[in-house]
Amino acid sequence: MVTDSDHLRNQRVVFYSDDIEQIDVVLAEFLELSGCKCNLLIDKEGHMVTSGGDTNSIDEQTVAALVAGSYAATREMAKLLGEDEFSVLFHQGKRDSIQLSMVGNRTIMATVFDDQTTVGMVRLYARAACEKLDAIFEEIRNRPQKKASLDAEFGSSAKGALDFFFTE
Amino acid sequence: MVQINFALKEVNCKIVYYGPGLSGKTTNLEVVHKKAPDTSVGDLTSIATEGDRTLFFDFLPLNLGQVAGMKTKFQIYTVPGQVYYNSTRKLVLQGADGVVFVADSKRGKMNENIESLKNLEENLKEHGLDIANTPIILQYNKRDLPDVYSVEEMEEALNAWDAPHFEAVARDGKGVFPTLKRLAGMVLESLNENHAPRRSPSVVAPKASADSSGGSTTATAVATSRTGTMRTQRTASVTGSVARTRASVSTQAPTVRTTSSGARPVLVTSPRRRKRRSSMVVGIVLTSIVAATVLLHLAGIIRILP
Ligand SMILES: Nc1nc2c(ncn2[C@@H]2O[C@H](COP(=O)(O)OP(=O)(O)OP(=O)(O)O)[C@@H](O)[C@H]2O)c(=O)[nH]1
Ligand SMILES: [Mg+2]
Repeated sequence: MVTDSDHLRNQRVVFYSDDIEQIDVVLAEFLELSGCKCNLLIDKEGHMVTSGGDTNSIDEQTVAALVAGSYAATREMAKLLGEDEFSVLFHQGKRDSIQLSMVGNRTIMATVFDDQTTVGMVRLYARAACEKLDAIFEEIRNRPQKKASLDAEFGSSAKGALDFFFTE
Repeated sequence: MVQINFALKEVNCKIVYYGPGLSGKTTNLEVVHKKAPDTSVGDLTSIATEGDRTLFFDFLPLNLGQVAGMKTKFQIYTVPGQVYYNSTRKLVLQGADGVVFVADSKRGKMNENIESLKNLEENLKEHGLDIANTPIILQYNKRDLPDVYSVEEMEEALNAWDAPHFEAVARDGKGVFPTLKRLAGMVLESLNENHAPRRSPSVVAPKASADSSGGSTTATAVATSRTGTMRTQRTASVTGSVARTRASVSTQAPTVRTTSSGARPVLVTSPRRRKRRSSMVVGIVLTSIVAATVLLHLAGIIRILP
């Protein structure tokens, strides 16, 4: 039976500052070891979770949407080929390359790197980082969900923001 | 699936424009992109065929601004409407928090509308969602055409569960904002119901007490949302230029296009280094998506053949 809190867990993803701090530590360590430029943690729906390294030059939201799309399309292809899924994807560019690794089953780590490091290094450390991240996500998923989390003003404030934004 | 990120103080919602081929989904997004202030929308990215039909999706990030201390963002997508592209359409729908169904009012298009709506229901179900419990708006588009169904006919044929509906002439920008505003309101309202500590005034409620008693609250929201959007928009990095990347894969020659907010279509000649890096990363991912998409369709065809 699907309980209310199961439903909530399936419908919403909530990240608290403590979680993100833990995640950021893993990402920072990974960047340090692997020599990558930056990485983005993106959920399957294409929302950004957090990012590390030098992301100033990247339009994070658009990259996140594209990464999620790319991943989804590839996963479908894997299914058609009878594979479970491709757990690592690699896109090579002239200068920058991107590696996508799956963390658990609903988060993607997208790592941008150049010739300062090698694919082998990135892959090696990414695997270790993904395992650590997966453990953190597992813990987040399994703890009881706090419910009252948004400000009580959220409803009225949203109405004001919508009225302001959508003036013709 | 709404994402609430207390570390970034962000709320992220996904909105999807659905509907039959050529009903005007991409046009809706183009209008939002053009009409919204440059500081609150990012680039419009389209993965389309040579003939401007959506192949995978269009994507537009929109920042509503601060809502009760949270940066509230919408990621808006359109699906490809052509029947043939169901595999990618289903992928885009994953995790949608709200749907605008753009129906074609032109006489003779009703069957396509109904088919597409059925397809939406099925695809939502595959993602574990019930169409009756998903925030959805029906938009009856192309009201400018001489030979259209009456709104009553459209309602009768399509709106079985009494969802809000709007008439639109998307090509002229009419009805586009009201549709999106209402859906955004419904999405935030459902978020509010689930996550705010006690019942606060409804987001979409008709103006009643909110305007008299909650007047000052609203005013604050307005003020912060203005500065909020300014501050958070540094990610719209390619503003003021149009980057055009073409990726030809197989015979379909899909086009990938990123249009910056409010920009005249001028070709970029000397982008700053920063910008070039950004579009390079986007370019790499886009090219591979296009390849993956085309392969996916080919795989689909192969599977259909005996
Ligand atoms: N007359 C009229 N034409 C419209 C209107 N809105 C859009 N169109 C036209 O309809 C055609 C298709 O519009 P699109 O927005 O590309 O359609 P779409 O739904 O994205 O189509 P797919 O990507 O194939 O699913 C374009 O030529 C538009 O100019 C409208 O309100 N009235
Ligand atoms: Mg389209």
